[in-house]
Amino acid sequence: MFKKILIANRGEIAIRIMRACRELGIQTVAVYSAADAHAQHVQFADEAILLGDAAPKESYLNVDKLIRAALDSKADAIHPGYGFLSENASFAAAVDSAHLTFIGPSADSIRAMGDKAESKILMKKAGVPTVPGFEGLETFDEFKNAASEIGYPVLVKAAAGGGGKGMRVVNSEAELKEAIETARREALNSFGDEHLLIEKYLAEAHHIEIQVFGDKHGNLVHLFERECSVQRRHQKIIEESPSPLLTPELREQMGQAAIAAARAVNYHNAGTVEFIFDPKTSQYYFLEMNTRLQVEHPVTEAVTGLDLVHWQIRIAAGEKFPFAQSDIHQHGHAIECRVYAEDPFTGFLPSTGKLLQFIEPHGPGIRVDSGFATGDDVTHFYDPLLAKLIVRAENRTVAIQRMQTALQDFIVHGVVTNIDFMRAVLETDDFKQGIISTRWVEKTLESNSGLLDSQQQVPALHSLIAAALADVVFFSGRAQPAVSNETDPFNPWKQTGNYRN
Amino acid sequence: MGEEQVRPRNDMDKNMKTTFGSQTIELNPSGEQYVASVEGKNVIVQVIRAANGRMDLLVDGQRVTAYVSSDMAKRWVTVDGKTSMLTKTSGAKQGVRHDHAGGLIAPMPGQIRSVSVSVGDAVKKGQTLLRMEAMKMEIRIQALKDGVVKSVSVAQGQTVEREQILVEVE
Repeated sequence: MFKKILIANRGEIAIRIMRACRELGIQTVAVYSAADAHAQHVQFADEAILLGDAAPKESYLNVDKLIRAALDSKADAIHPGYGFLSENASFAAAVDSAHLTFIGPSADSIRAMGDKAESKILMKKAGVPTVPGFEGLETFDEFKNAASEIGYPVLVKAAAGGGGKGMRVVNSEAELKEAIETARREALNSFGDEHLLIEKYLAEAHHIEIQVFGDKHGNLVHLFERECSVQRRHQKIIEESPSPLLTPELREQMGQAAIAAARAVNYHNAGTVEFIFDPKTSQYYFLEMNTRLQVEHPVTEAVTGLDLVHWQIRIAAGEKFPFAQSDIHQHGHAIECRVYAEDPFTGFLPSTGKLLQFIEPHGPGIRVDSGFATGDDVTHFYDPLLAKLIVRAENRTVAIQRMQTALQDFIVHGVVTNIDFMRAVLETDDFKQGIISTRWVEKTLESNSGLLDSQQQVPALHSLIAAALADVVFFSGRAQPAVSNETDPFNPWKQTGNYRN
Repeated sequence: MGEEQVRPRNDMDKNMKTTFGSQTIELNPSGEQYVASVEGKNVIVQVIRAANGRMDLLVDGQRVTAYVSSDMAKRWVTVDGKTSMLTKTSGAKQGVRHDHAGGLIAPMPGQIRSVSVSVGDAVKKGQTLLRMEAMKMEIRIQALKDGVVKSVSVAQGQTVEREQILVEVE
């Protein structure tokens, strides 16, 4: 087993990994940027090494500095967390070359799944369903024939693309010609490559993913699904397990498909196979494989009772995964809400500032993975994820109620959060029925259905009273309180509970 | 940091008017309580405890927990899981002095329930001098300083107007 692990990440995931290390009796090394000198993950670690400036390429994305930090601190392994370098095959290879252990899959597995076109071909070969479509088409007639074979609506998109650029939804043959021309132009401008592919467009698709886990001895299992369809700006905000849409048969089929996908790239360690799920036909299609630990892994931990980070470390150290597929079960229901410092009223733009209060909820079945505390700065340099709130309950209905209550008890002052927004989403009939598709948030906000209305009301009487009274019991006797976001956000935070009798 | 029973500050001897955006709230100390007036509506507020940005209140008898943070003119307030950001547009203290010349005034219209002192009685700071009822709540009018009762202008059962002088202590 490792004696010391360097965690090449920050925020809640760095702390979550360090916690697992502590439990396993392993020393931890944090790395940090200048902007994170006083961050919680630095505080939590046994030792900490400054990488460089705030910009990620000077710090958390700097392969050379990270390897040097690991060697200098005599760490024997590196855990990449998620994001940053976690799916960077060159980094995994560099870690190996430095005779350190990369806690994750092999560089080859990462590389094979990193190329979307190559991975789609690999998946087809492995018998994993992919979105019906064609690549390598040139003439309009080829596209026309392909589209009618797939069936409208179809999606034409840049082969080299991403991020919605060079992508067009085509509802009928009449729209096809113009869509191809526009998409080609955009693809050429954005990626320097006008090649398009055409595939089935799923308007009401859900995002359902399967957690897989493999050791270096050929054992490979799935840990069931996570439903991740509540998304904004193509990013997940609420995840749950089990999915309200899957039957036991579908769950088993998708689980086996995920194992086949992982086996096709000789996968070991934790990974996630993402599927697009069409609720009308109950068809599922391979989307991509994330070759790392996911943000939403606690949902799986809650329903399976397994500690994924423990097992990531133990598998990386060469242990056998001791559980067969038949040993692993889903118990109860778990939901995760991602608490972001972002403003739903500005299209979910990040909100920065000093956390004047940060009070996490607790109670039966409630878990909070967070990387912040009162007094911390939320900067614009990194992802605005403040915390993940995970609840577990005996069934979905109780889990929703538990989450509502926990969100209500989560107090964040100093930055705008999406807490009230998520409460509003959980309150909708669509969520309660489990029929939210990946475009639901966008469509619901567009149709002005009042999802944000409850947040725009004038402050209630009790809030007004509290605000006025606070000046008397907390803040009086001073011209201005010492705590402020508006004057100097980089001053050390100072408490001013100066009321007296 | 321990919890303490919070009474209105002795130096807060004036009515306090604060405007947040379109809403103005006036706080009038009254014994251990405050009378909060918003748009002609009065409620009685008692601070049960207050520490570290959290206040437990009784508002017209209803228990309310509020979290408040101050950021210059901005107030972050969470009540019942709902976070609002209020901006103080005027915080000038206005209104009449509460203990003008040692006189204690009715913080809001109501009826005198009992009078515990007579002219010439020596009273201690904090001692309840009379009780009045307003909005089905009992308000205790307490001495703001040690002294002697100079006048008692009201009797049990009498209805009083807001800011009417009730008792004078000197």
